[in-house]
Amino acid sequence: MIETTNLTRTFGHLTAVDELTLTIAEGEVFGLLGPNGAGKTTTIRMLAGMIGKTSGEARVADCRVGDPADARRLRSLIGLMPEEAGLYPDLSAARTLDFYGRLYQVPRDERAERAERLLTMLDLWDRRDARVRTFSKGMKQRLTIARALIHNPPVLFLDEPTANLDPEGARMVRDFLLQLKQEKRTILLNTHQLAEAERVCDRVGILHRRLVAVGTPDALRRSASEHATAIQLTMVTDAIVAAVRQAGYPDAVVDGNTITAGVDKPERDNPGLVQAIVAAGGDVQYVTGIVPTLEEAYLKLLGSDEPASER
Amino acid sequence: MNWQNVATIARKDITIMLTRRALRIALILFPLALAIGFAQIIRFSDYSAAVLPQTLNAFLFFFINYTGALPANIASYSMVGEKIERSLEPLLATPATDGEILLGKGIAALVPPLVAIWTGMATLMAYCDFLTRGTLGALYFPNWTAALIMFGVAPLVAVMGVTFAVLCSARVSEVRTAQQLGALVAIPSVAIYIVTLNGTLQLDPASLGLMCAVLLVVDLALAFAARAAFGRETILTRWA
Repeated sequence: MIETTNLTRTFGHLTAVDELTLTIAEGEVFGLLGPNGAGKTTTIRMLAGMIGKTSGEARVADCRVGDPADARRLRSLIGLMPEEAGLYPDLSAARTLDFYGRLYQVPRDERAERAERLLTMLDLWDRRDARVRTFSKGMKQRLTIARALIHNPPVLFLDEPTANLDPEGARMVRDFLLQLKQEKRTILLNTHQLAEAERVCDRVGILHRRLVAVGTPDALRRSASEHATAIQLTMVTDAIVAAVRQAGYPDAVVDGNTITAGVDKPERDNPGLVQAIVAAGGDVQYVTGIVPTLEEAYLKLLGSDEPASER
Repeated sequence: MNWQNVATIARKDITIMLTRRALRIALILFPLALAIGFAQIIRFSDYSAAVLPQTLNAFLFFFINYTGALPANIASYSMVGEKIERSLEPLLATPATDGEILLGKGIAALVPPLVAIWTGMATLMAYCDFLTRGTLGALYFPNWTAALIMFGVAPLVAVMGVTFAVLCSARVSEVRTAQQLGALVAIPSVAIYIVTLNGTLQLDPASLGLMCAVLLVVDLALAFAARAAFGRETILTRWA
């Protein structure tokens, strides 16, 4: 559904996106993670046909990005939720959706029906005639989601959809994203919220001007960080520590009555580790797997990355 | 060109525009107040039949000063307002082309002030005809001079105001600054007005025709420049 090959965009001497090669399947939710200035918004703007590319190729829903002949069709197939809500404060929610529905050539009856459905789903129907300037930040964000969906696009580009929202507002938006996922739309989600990416996305890519890593959240976690197992005992003796180290875990750490050891595959390594402890006279109370977070993987991958284009 | 998109954008801008009380007053009351004020001057003055035509033309032409400034003000608000609200990005993400967006915004900034000014001019002409019929022995308005002012000079000056405002809006990020810059468009019409008052320029069909030709050239140049300034790439990467 979305395919880029060596997609590059420079602004003067600055390379904002460097040779991005990526494929996003139909119905997939793909999260683009990266720090500020990593090129996430530029990527979305290029793919949405809003700014040009410097080099490389991209296709979205069989439209060639950057081809003037495909520009109008490309934009009609994409629903965009930019980082800034960009709503008209003096229009009502209903008028806002009607305005965008018209620009996307949605027939009148369908427009009204869709606006009602979206506003109801996003809990804005009762405020449909109120001016947007009276809305809270969360309500505005929900209205921007409705705006992105008014023409029922197969592809959605969401740029930081939960940024600056309170936890309740962010949860509501996330729940709605999960609902969109079930509808099998292709979604490209730019986010700083790693927990959000982990919960919503099928795959994530870490962008730092160039694509540093790509995979499922689970695969990224595993690839970038080690698993560890924490074993709590009634008492840790020198014999137990020696037994653990002899069993192949020389870096095991003791903290009080807990021994923590890095393991490659917990399901394979944990039984042997526990056996060694028990054989040395240890009384095991709890065995806890320490799973690396996506945040750890993200920071590790970004820390090891030094884009060639960075000046 | 998708005219439905143009109409949709223009309608949206007019809806937003009419929520501003000050602008509603400027659109509705000011041209009528100007017409009635000038008519009162005619009513309480003792102009001879020889002087009256020139005075009436000058009063009618006075509206042109307003014709450039008001659309420029509205266009500045519309462009910089979108810039401040960051609402251009979602608009640029729609299938509407840059030209359709610019034209829609231009029409919204052009049509309401032009209709208001035409209404003011028509009121002035009708009222003055009523007041001067006895002195002149016939209805002075309508005539070719009035027609050229109303339907030639006025729209062309209004287009100049809008295109100039678009250019100014590309460079500034504050509505007030854009409006002040846009108001500069009134300077040429004020200068022409002063020149007509001292008799250097006669407001006759020939000079008005020439004025229209010059304005047309200026409008075309400004329109091309405005179109070049209003590219989605430029807006998204340089207007911020």
